[in-house]
Amino acid sequence: MKRLAIGLSVAVTVALMVWGFYQAIYVAPDEQTMHEVQRIFYYHVPSAMVAFLFFAISLCGSIGFLAFRRNRPEWAQASDAWALAGAEVGVVFCTVVLITGPLWGRRAWGIWWTWDARLTTTLVLWLIYVSYLLLRRFAAGPQMQTLAAVLGIFGALDVPIVYMSNRWWRTQHPAPVFGGGEDSGIKDPAMMHAFGWNVLAWLAWGLLILALRYHVERQNQKFAAQNAQQALDA
Amino acid sequence: MDERAILDHQFTVAAYAITWIIQLAYVAWLGFKWRAQKRNQDSRGQRL
Repeated sequence: MKRLAIGLSVAVTVALMVWGFYQAIYVAPDEQTMHEVQRIFYYHVPSAMVAFLFFAISLCGSIGFLAFRRNRPEWAQASDAWALAGAEVGVVFCTVVLITGPLWGRRAWGIWWTWDARLTTTLVLWLIYVSYLLLRRFAAGPQMQTLAAVLGIFGALDVPIVYMSNRWWRTQHPAPVFGGGEDSGIKDPAMMHAFGWNVLAWLAWGLLILALRYHVERQNQKFAAQNAQQALDA
Repeated sequence: MDERAILDHQFTVAAYAITWIIQLAYVAWLGFKWRAQKRNQDSRGQRL
């Protein structure tokens, strides 16, 4: 039953990815000023949305770990696994954002990078979560998870700053897709459909690898606990 | 196709290809990690 559910999830995700690609490349019309290069948007923006969602999951996991670490160790370990999975998969999506953005910028603005608020805060967000992963990889000792949880909470504070940056400050980055006022957003319904399908597809893909990363980390925790118990027994 | 359109096309293809390379590389790394973990657990089970 579990195998069937996993197979079904993979099949649905692959179908969504293929459909999203088809919509983005063949169905959505060319944008009038940016032409074909605007199609990068169908991968760039959904990746940013999924990255933000996963950093939020990492935040919840970090808070959960700090809340449960003294009285419910099993819940704390599960929360910690969610925090790590969210941060790691979030970094993957954020990396995609930071590479596809400059590719679009080079054609649309004529430059690869500019230190405007949206770009800089996104780079800072990526650096914070890369630090989080390095801390988890190289720090040892019983305090590592606690330190990582605190860093994870600080990192997540940058997410609303990234989101609001092109509302709070004058930036070169385009206006927000949602909630940016009357002049912003997608006007063409065909573009909106392509965008919606790609959000759904990347969300499904992201959730699938998030679940796999969580599973691997839980197995890792169980393996480490068994090793520790064996060392005590010996 | 003029030069601008060709460059636009190349940049779009690069963005899509890089996205997939990053995502699939991560999934492959995760798969290897998972398999190594399973192998460790299996060999440990045989020892016990």
